[in-house]
Amino acid sequence: MFITRKALPRRTFLRGMGAAVALPMLDAMAPALSAKTTAPPRLGFIYIANGVIQKNWNPAATGMGLELSPTLKPLANVRDSITVLSGLAHSQADTFGDGTGDHPRASAAWLTGVHAYDRTQPGAEVRLATTADQLAANYIGKTTRISSLELTVDFPTQGACDSGDCFYVNTVSWRNDTTPNPTENNPRVVFERLFGDGGDAAARQERTRETGSILDSVLHEVGRISNDLGPGDRTKLDEYLDSVREIEQRIKNPASQSTQTVDLIDRPVDIPESFDEYTKLMFDLQVLAFRADLTRVFSMILSRELSSRTFAFIGVPDQHHAVSHHRNDPDLIAKKAKIDFYQMQLMAYFLEKLQAAKDGDGTLLDHSLILCGSGMGDGNLHRHFDLPCVLAGRLNGTITSGRHMNYPDKTPMTNLLVSLLDKIGMPVDKLGDSTGRLTPDPLNLS
Amino acid sequence: MRFAALLIALASVPVVYGQTQPAAVLNRYCLTCHNDKLKTAGLVLNPADLNRVPETAETWEKVVRKLRAGAMPPAGAPKPDASAGNALRSYLETELDRSAASHPIPGKLPLLHRLTRTEYSNAIRDLLAIDALPKELDFSLLLPADNSSSGFDNLADLLFTSPSTMERYIDAAHKISRFVMGDPKMPVLVNVYKMDPEHPQDERVDGLPYGTRGGLAIRSDFPDDGTYLVKVDMAGAPREPHQLDILVDGARVGDSTVGTTLGSAQTGSGRGPGRGRALAPAPLEFRIPIAAGQHVLGVTFAEHSEAFDESTLRPRMRGRGTLPSIAEVDVLGPYDVKGPGESASRARIFVCADQTDDCARRILTTLVHRAYRRPAKDADLAELMPFYRDGKAKGSFDLGIEKALERLLVSPQFLYRIEHEPADLKTSAKPGATWRVSDLELASRLSFFLWSSIPDDRLLDLAEQNKLHEPAVLEQEVQRMLADARSEALVTNFAAQWLYLRDIESKQPDEILFPEFDQTLREAMRQETELFLNSVFRGNGSILDLISANYTFLNERLAQHYGIPGIRGSYFRRYTFPPDSPRGGLLGEGSFLTITSYSNRTSPVLRGKWVLQNLLASAPPPPPPNVPSLKTEGKEPGTTLTMREAMVAHRANPACAGCHARMDPIGFAMENFDADGKYRDRDSGNPIDVSGVLPDGRKFEGIAGLKKELLRNPDQFVSTAAENLLMYALGRNVQYYDEPSVRQIVRAAQQKQYAVRSLVEEVVRTPAFQMREAN
Repeated sequence: MFITRKALPRRTFLRGMGAAVALPMLDAMAPALSAKTTAPPRLGFIYIANGVIQKNWNPAATGMGLELSPTLKPLANVRDSITVLSGLAHSQADTFGDGTGDHPRASAAWLTGVHAYDRTQPGAEVRLATTADQLAANYIGKTTRISSLELTVDFPTQGACDSGDCFYVNTVSWRNDTTPNPTENNPRVVFERLFGDGGDAAARQERTRETGSILDSVLHEVGRISNDLGPGDRTKLDEYLDSVREIEQRIKNPASQSTQTVDLIDRPVDIPESFDEYTKLMFDLQVLAFRADLTRVFSMILSRELSSRTFAFIGVPDQHHAVSHHRNDPDLIAKKAKIDFYQMQLMAYFLEKLQAAKDGDGTLLDHSLILCGSGMGDGNLHRHFDLPCVLAGRLNGTITSGRHMNYPDKTPMTNLLVSLLDKIGMPVDKLGDSTGRLTPDPLNLS
Repeated sequence: MRFAALLIALASVPVVYGQTQPAAVLNRYCLTCHNDKLKTAGLVLNPADLNRVPETAETWEKVVRKLRAGAMPPAGAPKPDASAGNALRSYLETELDRSAASHPIPGKLPLLHRLTRTEYSNAIRDLLAIDALPKELDFSLLLPADNSSSGFDNLADLLFTSPSTMERYIDAAHKISRFVMGDPKMPVLVNVYKMDPEHPQDERVDGLPYGTRGGLAIRSDFPDDGTYLVKVDMAGAPREPHQLDILVDGARVGDSTVGTTLGSAQTGSGRGPGRGRALAPAPLEFRIPIAAGQHVLGVTFAEHSEAFDESTLRPRMRGRGTLPSIAEVDVLGPYDVKGPGESASRARIFVCADQTDDCARRILTTLVHRAYRRPAKDADLAELMPFYRDGKAKGSFDLGIEKALERLLVSPQFLYRIEHEPADLKTSAKPGATWRVSDLELASRLSFFLWSSIPDDRLLDLAEQNKLHEPAVLEQEVQRMLADARSEALVTNFAAQWLYLRDIESKQPDEILFPEFDQTLREAMRQETELFLNSVFRGNGSILDLISANYTFLNERLAQHYGIPGIRGSYFRRYTFPPDSPRGGLLGEGSFLTITSYSNRTSPVLRGKWVLQNLLASAPPPPPPNVPSLKTEGKEPGTTLTMREAMVAHRANPACAGCHARMDPIGFAMENFDADGKYRDRDSGNPIDVSGVLPDGRKFEGIAGLKKELLRNPDQFVSTAAENLLMYALGRNVQYYDEPSVRQIVRAAQQKQYAVRSLVEEVVRTPAFQMREAN
């Protein structure tokens, strides 16, 4: 990987503060230069909340020669890489008469197909499942410096979320059935995780060595206190131990395996005031992470269930969640459709960047698969079927894109996730409520 | 005493199914719906269970809760008279409490309880004597946010750790240890302080001397004696000269005249005081020598005596004001490091100065004692000393301490509160076994409850002498801790979360409808509520003051907003309302009124729901998804309904009526307050009707009437406060088996006029706080 620098709008970035801006990883790239024939697969999972206006979302016709619906129009420049799936459902997000709300259940079920029970009841506990992105990361992300990135551009919630369990809406990524991954919303922190915060090559190597000995020592300590603890609930100690071991593995991986030239942006200062600028910056960072092959899997919450974000700059000064309950009021329907459309504009920005990025024998978009969708279909009625679901990219040619596939009503979305994991060579028998592979297979139909 | 008498009277009544009053009441008023055929709301009540209340406690606690809230029987159904209803409730409570007294259930907690981000930052403050890390090391950048559920972010089961969290802990330990030691090889810190474009800079800023105007005061620790580069970015190019001053602890260390020599850069002239930013001249740079330790760095303007205050001539609008202002200040450094200097951090860390290995052991022993919250063991030192030796070999004694400190800060024994199970449990697992936590564990429970931080040396000493659990010692320590400044965490961490007050930061009232709502007003609202809560919580007020207080804290900006004359200047002072004022108490404060409004209008529903949920613990369920639209057009074309008229129409739908009958009257009573907390007489040009009827038929009028109703029987409100305090203190959700403790807290507090201090003391006395239960 070779690094050059590129200027970006001054409001967003540190100016003339070279001393603190990293020139990352040149030192650690040597092993990566060995010739590679096929580019690694990349996966992304982008969540949009509060359902969509389906009549504007779903394309009218099915089959090849995808005709973009009004909401999906912004994807025109990458249309040939798009596959629209309709008819998928998450029945596990439905109420079973228990306490957790429809919104938290929607984001909890999205990549698990598992019902989020109310943990506040006596004897209940946090239990969901490893999400599809983490299953993928455990496999295709093994050799990268960062196993997966979990990003969000929506602020986390305070207080109560329907039932009071906000952690179900603040992330869509679970490391295992008891541990959700936190999401990062600050571009500066993302940048530093990817590229470090300064220092030269020797300093970084020294830092890696030191981190290694800290982790060794900490593992020893955990063994010592574990004997003293008693048989009680050790979940939290296991989380700590698992995290330490994971990082210990990671720091042995080369920092970057890319042979591409990467234009590194300046280190962001903070969250830009403009939401548009902010989201695009987060996407820029994700493109960089893919290009430098620092990670191969990410998830991003483009909007969070129950989000109260307002979009005055596109003519929607109202709160997202409030608008989604449109009660068939044409004015509110139009506003929600505007938000949906705008989110697809942001998607288009990201996908076009992936398409423009050379990667091995093709482009990043050729080698990626980005799933964008939701666990909520009709947000007004809290329906968890006819979910919005768009695939972008060809995943190394394993996908015949540029079409719309309509599945029988209430086909589990988890069937798609199972098929997807097949494509990256990590077959699973079952994921949540899956009933098999998606048929016909959208990913490989001639 | 009243209760005790009642208790004896009831205990002597033999309970026989079908004959006693409780059973009769149950039969007559509850079983019509809650029988095993109808199973209304999934609840079946069996009169025979009245004879075995402890075994069926979970069900009966639900009944008690509904009776206490007056929520059952529902509106329209026959109700028992007050004495019969109370008899059932008292009987149940007595039985439940008696059982709990003989067999307390402390409830289960994980063995490890991770520190929240707030607790971590306070622990660093108290461990290393540092409480103003510069912007680059802000804890919100160092660590991920915690999940907030059921209102609180300190619930043990929701404090997760994943590899990315761990990465951040490792990184934070590195940056913090390097900083507090003043490591000369530390990379230059780049601290960017942006001024909110809605922050007017026409007045003196708190923390800066008189005779200054606008700008900002940065309270920050500086890592080394050295030079720091201060870059100042103007929000626009001033047309006339203004003097810009750089101050350190109030003394001028640099100045520059802006506005005369920059003629060519004045491309922004003619721009008004809007949110936009005119093209500014190149940033001004100052190289300032600053000593290690904490200082207040001021970047401000010398006040222009001839400049008239335009804000008095025209309505206040969102913006920076009419005078030149500062958009951003960057503080970079240290450069030309002279040495680590004499910072408070180093003074706290270096308990000896001779730079021997023996001294290193003493330093680390002290750090371990405080950080792990127990006496240091040889094994702890054995883990840290190799890092010390490595650092010392590579650099210096200081570097050795720095490396050992870095290692200590990622130890699970620092990052988690760890509680142990007694040795005999390890050999024979006994589910449900309970025991008293050790004194050291109790010390941590106390300090994280009252200070959101680690215990101090005195608390650890008492615990190590095994005295802390003694009731007299414990009570004395609670008093001492409440008197300590660190107990402000009860306001900023507990009360702010309980009452959702942190939400004020993200509230954005509509710019066109509420042009006066700017960052300064938002901060004033936050500060008013913080000062008010501080006075109630730490001035040993009554918890009832949250509702009934006749005073608040105001500065000029907020007083103007409330329409209160005669208050000048930006500092806050206590103000007592006249007897007929609608304000006073939380329900009249701008923060609460804004938090519970939409961006463009008030919401009686949100306000009603907030009161039910946060003050009365009887939140209605979430609304069904497809609720019909709120129509605001009147019958005559061109007319508009008041919020109340619109809601009345909305409530005609029977599916909505049940919950709205409870929420709406509460919200309507507050309709005299607009969505930004301003007082108003009219809504959409129509007079406002603030009368209300509670589900039980009681009528009341306006905010004063509402407060009277809330305080008529304070148990409901005080129970809610107690439940929240208990949840926060324990770090777990409150369950049915905690309700006897909640009642005990309320009874005891009643004897002391519901003093906040008594609530805190009683929480500390509960079995749940002092005991553990086997998993």
